[in-house]
Amino acid sequence: MLILAILAIPFTMTIISASFAWRPWVGWTSAASSAAFLGLGIWLSVATLSAPQWALHHSFRADSLSAFMVVVIGTVSLLATLFTPRTMHQEITSGVTTARYARHYVVLMQVFITCMLSAVLTANLGVLWVSIEATTIATTFLVSHRRTDGAFEASWKYVILCSIGIALAFLGTVLIYYAQLHAGGPVHSSSLDWTSVMSLAHHLDPNVTRLAFALLVVGYGTKVGLVPMHSWLPDAHSQAPAPVSALMSGVLLTVAFYGLLRFRAVAVAALGPAFPRALLLVVGIASLLLATVMLIAQRDLKRMLAYSSIEHMGLLAIGAAVGTPLAIAAVLLHILGHGITKAVLFLSSGEIYHLEGTTEIAKISGLLARRPTLAGIFGFGLLSLVALPPFSLFVSELTMARAEVDAGLWWVVAISLVCLSVIFAALTRHARQILMGARVEGTLPSSLSSSVAVPLITALVACVALGVFSWPLQSLLTHAAQGVMP
Amino acid sequence: MNSTYIATLELAAGAVLLSAIMTLWRRNVRSIVAMLSVQGMALAAVAIVLALHEHEHALLITGCLVFLVKGLVVPHLLRRVSLLDPRSRESRPLVNVPASLVFAAALIVLSYVVGTRITSLSPSSATHLAPLGLATVLVGYFMLVTRRRAVSKIVGLILVDNGIALVTFLLTSGVPLIVELGSSLDVLLVVVVLQFLMVSMRRHSDTDRLTEMKALHD
Amino acid sequence: MTGTISIYAVVATLLQVVMVALGAPLLVGIMAKVKARAEGRVGAPINQPLRDLRKLLTKERLHARHASVVLVIAPMLIMASTVVAVAISPLVSTHPLLGSSADILVIVYLLLTGSAAAALAGLDPGTAFGGMGSSRAMTIGALAEPAFLVAVIALSIQSGSSNLPSIMVSTLAHPQWVLGPSRLLALGALLIVVIAETGRIPVDNPSTHLELTMIHEAMILEYAGPELALVTLGETMRLGLLFSLLANLFLPWGIATHSSTLSLVAGVVSLALKTVLIALGVALIEVRSAKLRLFRLPELLAGGFVLSVLAVVTGLVTR
Repeated sequence: MLILAILAIPFTMTIISASFAWRPWVGWTSAASSAAFLGLGIWLSVATLSAPQWALHHSFRADSLSAFMVVVIGTVSLLATLFTPRTMHQEITSGVTTARYARHYVVLMQVFITCMLSAVLTANLGVLWVSIEATTIATTFLVSHRRTDGAFEASWKYVILCSIGIALAFLGTVLIYYAQLHAGGPVHSSSLDWTSVMSLAHHLDPNVTRLAFALLVVGYGTKVGLVPMHSWLPDAHSQAPAPVSALMSGVLLTVAFYGLLRFRAVAVAALGPAFPRALLLVVGIASLLLATVMLIAQRDLKRMLAYSSIEHMGLLAIGAAVGTPLAIAAVLLHILGHGITKAVLFLSSGEIYHLEGTTEIAKISGLLARRPTLAGIFGFGLLSLVALPPFSLFVSELTMARAEVDAGLWWVVAISLVCLSVIFAALTRHARQILMGARVEGTLPSSLSSSVAVPLITALVACVALGVFSWPLQSLLTHAAQGVMP
Repeated sequence: MNSTYIATLELAAGAVLLSAIMTLWRRNVRSIVAMLSVQGMALAAVAIVLALHEHEHALLITGCLVFLVKGLVVPHLLRRVSLLDPRSRESRPLVNVPASLVFAAALIVLSYVVGTRITSLSPSSATHLAPLGLATVLVGYFMLVTRRRAVSKIVGLILVDNGIALVTFLLTSGVPLIVELGSSLDVLLVVVVLQFLMVSMRRHSDTDRLTEMKALHD
Repeated sequence: MTGTISIYAVVATLLQVVMVALGAPLLVGIMAKVKARAEGRVGAPINQPLRDLRKLLTKERLHARHASVVLVIAPMLIMASTVVAVAISPLVSTHPLLGSSADILVIVYLLLTGSAAAALAGLDPGTAFGGMGSSRAMTIGALAEPAFLVAVIALSIQSGSSNLPSIMVSTLAHPQWVLGPSRLLALGALLIVVIAETGRIPVDNPSTHLELTMIHEAMILEYAGPELALVTLGETMRLGLLFSLLANLFLPWGIATHSSTLSLVAGVVSLALKTVLIALGVALIEVRSAKLRLFRLPELLAGGFVLSVLAVVTGLVTR
């Protein structure tokens, strides 16, 4: 029942926003709906601690992992939808968009959120694929929302690359199904169900599973933004409106990563830990290295944030490669912390773009003196992003490093630490330019509207709270991590 | 009965790969789209023949759907897009046609080598043909990477998709219906999305310049 | 017993050589006639190529001033390699003399010897056209020969032998192979190769001397008299051989499989019918298509090559 309610809320919201012309109240209602399913998601998390929940004849299934992902999606959606009325107002008054496209935007946002929720709540690995593919279609139009050449190019690249990637993931899913059929699995609709796949996972043919997992890593890895197929990510994130970037970077990437976590469990059961670990380590470290290199000389604020997403996805892949319950729990905490931090940063960079008219790092300077609140939020967001204590990313990165050491992967810890310190230096340099660089003449200090400041500051405080007292989540995280142990 | 079943299956699966090769071979967008239509129909034939042989009703529905979507609707949409573009003849591939055909031959051999490892799990007259599907996927990728025109890229994407569908039908006689429905509709949606993008891009500026993806970079 | 077989084998071999030598010019005549009719002309009689040959044989031998011995030897080499290939291939009967040596590789290399001789002869007098023709012919050959080889390998996969007579015998035993995808793909590839090797439209136009387009005609421009007759007959017989092989590999029915006068007669008649059919088909292709620009030719031939690779893989997959 809870599951259906969670899915019904954004679905109803889709219909509402489709049937009314754009008015600010539509935006506020969509924020309220995000808050509502976030609340239900927390309730669901509590419920799943005792037993997984089912709905609609076993079509939907929520274990602690799914419930946790619902909470992540809820939190970031709440932040993003809270900014929808403001962003649309700014865009309509500045002539970037019209009321007609504002309506499209709100509808697509809700479709996007619905698809992500159904991806994490479905019981079937095939439907998981369908949902993730459906997010591509919704987000393509969101990326091209501004209808500039750059936006069209970004969304073209995005849809082409993600369609290829997701096609590979489909082939991987089909191969898992094929292996499962020959391990004596059921032929009909329940056959790709998570529980039935896991019950047979030990008997899957290793040759087929190996190929399937490789395809899935590359395929879902495209959506995650992992290295061989990452090149859509900086373009899409820099061209989309800020709330869309926040949602894409904060949760879409990690929803795709959720798919990888599920399939990793299947692969480990069928192949043993060595092959999945090697594969995930390769893509993870490659992503980390690439992001490090690209961040050093980055000139654009939003692209900088996008490459930082690639960095964090690389860290997640490395954590998943280790694969102990501790590592997976840390990965999950990292997903939440990164989601909130990235949302705050993208939303405040949207605000910066609105005020300064550019996202080029070299052209923004002295922000701290001119717009202290906004600059403060952005600065603390960056501190959270580079994983300084007391923010939660520090805790999760530390825990991941501990898990890596426990697994004997010293060299991985060494590489990660080197990369992270280079990234720390690079981001600090960019931050110094933005926040404290020479003051631009002729702009007066202005205060930030509290409708912007309050949600963002609350989100940052939440990050600190997560870092200091991760106890409200402790049992949920360990329970969720147990769910994807082979 | 059995030998006609095998012969029809082999012919249809061969036609899928052959039409993929033909799309690499031809330059005229109109005839490339016609090839895609043939491919969609051959794919539908594979599904229907398998369905009749294995008495799978879900697969029969899928086959009819594939016929409609991939044989008729998607080529129709593409034809409409190509009519919008006056320069429908010469595509400027990054790799010239003879070289790409020879490369395609290498890809076919590669997919045979890889494919036989998978098919050895359950040898049957249907699974043996799976390398043909893999080859179609690879040819599609090749097309996507080496062609600059927007329409050609979409064609490559559809080739990849059809190849995966062929592998799916041959290896598993179709995945669960809901997944199959999802994937078929997705193709349609992706094509609609791409078509929409192309049309709106044309309204703004030069499509080919945008789809060559050169403007955004670090 | 062996004696009777060898007599029939000798008769079959002789029949093959005579049939191809006399029939191939007639095939060329038929194609010219069909094209003329399709274009609304009356056209030359179908025995015109034979008459041309007779006329050439009575003429004086003339050599270019700078030509070497290659120019003299090449026509004989072309003729000899073609005659040997015709003699050992299973055209009328599956048991000609030396039929056991009619391995597909042997036939391909015999034909290649002829092509190489023709190309050398084109280069020998040192004229511009000859060199150009040779270079173009070798470009085409470099793409067509591998396609030819691979296509025939595709045929030999199903029957498990690269010996031409045994490919035909096993095809007769398994008629369902003929419509298999592997066979059809190999047929497509071979058709392209045959058109390229025999210099027909859309690869080459045998009835033009336009320097921009000619390939084969440019190579033999320096020949006259009996030597021109020899080269032309050799090339024509090569066309006859390729058409006959195409016919017998894909539709072997009618070929003499055992030793009796009746089956030899049937073999002769069916071979004549099948090759005339192929000639009609090729003529129709020629009527309907324009000659490809030279730089587009590699596309066609590479296409043929892919088809043949496809045929091999399909053959392996469906075996």
